[in-house]
Amino acid sequence: MQNKEQAFLSHVAKVLGRDRPLLKPPKRDEVGPPAFWKEQKFDIDHPLAFFKRNLENLTGRVYIAKDSKDVSQQVNAWLEELQAKRVIMWDHEELKKVVAIQDAKVKVDYWTAKGPKRKMMEAAERADVGITWADYGIGYTGTLALFSSPIQGRSVSLLPTVHIAILKKENLVPTMSTVMNDIIQRRGNNSVPAAVDFITGPSRTSDIEMDLSIGVHGPVKVWVIVLDD
Amino acid sequence: MSHRPTVHLRERSKRAVKDEQMRKAVEKAVDRLSGNRLKAEREMPNWDEWREQGKRIRKHTVNHLDYYLGQLAESVRNKGGHIYFAQTATEAQEIIIKICKEKNAKLIAKSKSMVTEEIHLNLALEKENMKVVETDLAEYILQLAGETPSHIIVPAIHKNRYQIAELFSKVAGQKIEPDTPSLTTFARKTLRKTFMAADVGITGCNFAIADTGAISLVTNEGNARMVTSLPKVLISVMGMERVLPTFEDLEVMLSLLPRHATGQKLTSYISVVNAPRSKDEGDGAEEFHLVIVDNGRSKLLADEEYRQALHCIRCGACFNVCPVYRQIGGHAYGSVYSGPIGAVITPFLQDDFDFWGELAYATTLCGACSAACAVKIPLHDLLINIRRTRVELGFTHPLEKMGFKMWRRIFKIPGRYKFAMKFGSFAQRPFMNDGYIQSGPPPLANWTNSRYFPAAADKTFREIWQEKNK
Repeated sequence: MQNKEQAFLSHVAKVLGRDRPLLKPPKRDEVGPPAFWKEQKFDIDHPLAFFKRNLENLTGRVYIAKDSKDVSQQVNAWLEELQAKRVIMWDHEELKKVVAIQDAKVKVDYWTAKGPKRKMMEAAERADVGITWADYGIGYTGTLALFSSPIQGRSVSLLPTVHIAILKKENLVPTMSTVMNDIIQRRGNNSVPAAVDFITGPSRTSDIEMDLSIGVHGPVKVWVIVLDD
Repeated sequence: MSHRPTVHLRERSKRAVKDEQMRKAVEKAVDRLSGNRLKAEREMPNWDEWREQGKRIRKHTVNHLDYYLGQLAESVRNKGGHIYFAQTATEAQEIIIKICKEKNAKLIAKSKSMVTEEIHLNLALEKENMKVVETDLAEYILQLAGETPSHIIVPAIHKNRYQIAELFSKVAGQKIEPDTPSLTTFARKTLRKTFMAADVGITGCNFAIADTGAISLVTNEGNARMVTSLPKVLISVMGMERVLPTFEDLEVMLSLLPRHATGQKLTSYISVVNAPRSKDEGDGAEEFHLVIVDNGRSKLLADEEYRQALHCIRCGACFNVCPVYRQIGGHAYGSVYSGPIGAVITPFLQDDFDFWGELAYATTLCGACSAACAVKIPLHDLLINIRRTRVELGFTHPLEKMGFKMWRRIFKIPGRYKFAMKFGSFAQRPFMNDGYIQSGPPPLANWTNSRYFPAAADKTFREIWQEKNK
C-alpha cells in the first residue's frame, strides 16, 4: 500500500517537473480570505441582526431571550405549537440548565456519552424535535456551527423533523473565519471534533423542476433561541 | 468498460435540439441559477477579490499537489483513517469493492458524487451483488430511470414531475401525485429507511483539508450528513485535485462555491468529517476510508496550460452561461462531465483526443464560461488549445486540412485575396437570399444545414475605402 502511495506521489511530482515529491511545506504568500475580510472591513456591525435576517429569509425563526427562564418558556411554547410528542436533547450541562420541558406528556430522550448507540439513533429518528446547544452562530450567513462529541450527537440536529438550537449571544460571530480559526487552534492540540456541521436553515432541494422544496432529508424547520443575558 | 456514445456529437446535438421539453427545462434551470449567481455576487463585498484569491489558492495547491496529497495522507492516517491512491478507475473500483466485501456490506447509501459517476462505481458494486442506493433526490431519480446526470448541480433537470411521479409510483406500488411536496415526501420516507439500514456510506468530497486530514461536503438536502453520520463505515472518494491546504482556505471556497452554484450565501449543510468517531460518540462512522483518484488527471497536470482545469471547484457556473449547453443540455455531450469544463477535461480523463476531443467544438468560444468561472479558469482558451492539440495529433478531417491550406495560399498574397473576395461575392449570387446564404453547396452546406451564412457584401472594404478617398 505504502509503495503504491509513493509511486502515485512520485508520478504527481514528476508531471509537475520535480524529481521527487516535495516534503517541505511550499512557501505561500497569502492564506485564506482576502485581507479586507480577515480585518472585517465591511458592514457587519450587528452580527445578531444579520443572523436573524438571514435565517428568517430561509424560513427559520430566531427568538432573542433575555434570560434562561425566557429560553425555557420559548422552547415550551414552540413544542406546544409544533404539538411535539417526542423530543431528543443533547445531554449538555448548559443546555439542561436553560431548558426544562414542562409538558409531562412529551417524551424526552437524551443523547448521552454512555447511552446505547443504536437506541439513541432510533430515538432521534422518531423524535419530532431535536434540541442542541450551538457552538457558534455565524451572522453573515445565518449559520449554526455544531461540533460533535459524545454528548453532542449529530443525529439530534439531523433526524428529527424540527431542529431547535440554543445559542449564547457571545458565541454569535460575524463570519465563518472565527470558527475556522477555532478548528485550526484545536488542530494544534489534537482536539478537532470528529465532525463539524455548518447548518444554514432547513434541508432543501430544487431538484424537481427547479421548484424549491423544504425538508427533503434533514429537518423541515430550524428555529434558534439566542440567549442574550 | 466503454461508456462511449454510439452516435456522433453532431447527431446527438441534433436530437437534443428537437427535445423541446428538455430544452425548456434546461433554459429555466440555467437562467434561474445564473440570475441567482449574479445577485449573490452583487451582495458580497469585493467579489472579484474573492475570485482572485480563490484562483491563487487553487493554483498554489495544484502546483504543489505532490506535497499536499502527501500531507493529507499523513494527516488522515494519524487519526486512524485509511487512505488509498488509485491510478485508474478500475483500481479505484477494486479498492472500494474490497473494503465493502470485508465489511460484508449488503446495502450501501451514497450521496452525490461526480467522481463515482466517473469511475462507474455503482455498476461495479452491483456486479458484486451489493445494493447501492443514491440518496440525493436528483441522483435517486436518475438511478430509478437508469440515466446519468445532465448538470453537475441539478443533475435531473431534464426530467419533469410527471416522469418522476411515474418512477416513484413504480417503487411505491401505488400512485404518487406529480407535485413537488408529494414527491419529496415520498423520497424522504423511502430513503430514511436506507440511511438507517445501510452498512456502508459512500460520498464524494468537495474539499479535503491537507493539514488536518478532514473532508468537507457541500449539500442542501442533508443526505450527505446522513451518509456520513449513520452507517458504521464511511468511504469518501475524491479526484486528486480536490484538496486545500488549510481550513482558512476552505472559507474562501465556501464563499465562492454556493454563490456561484446556486446563488446561496451558504448551502444548508457544510459537513466536515475530520476523523472516525471518538470512542464514546454514538454516531458518525467508526471507520473512515479516503480514496484518492487520478484517472487521467495527471495528464492535465503535466501541461501548465491545461493544469488550470484542475483548479475547478465544480460550481457549474460555466454550464449556466454556455449558449451551447443551453441548447443541447448535458446528455448530448455523451460524457460524465458536460458543459464547458466537461469539454476540457473529458479528452484527458478518457485519454482520447480523437473522439472526445470533438467536444471542444461544442462551443462558440464566446468566453462566457471563462467570465463566469468562480476561480477564473480561461476555459475558452483551453478549448482552443484542445482544438490545436487535435490538429497536431492529426485528428482533423482531410477536407478541413485542405481547406485551410488553400485559405493560407490565398490570404498570403494581396492579389489573390482581392480576387477571391471579388469572386466570392459574385459566385454566391445563386445561393443568396435576404443577405444570407440559406442553403449553400458542399462543403458550405455543413454550415448552412443548421444556420444561415452571412453573404459577402457587394463591394469589398478596399473598394469602399478607395471610393471614399477619391
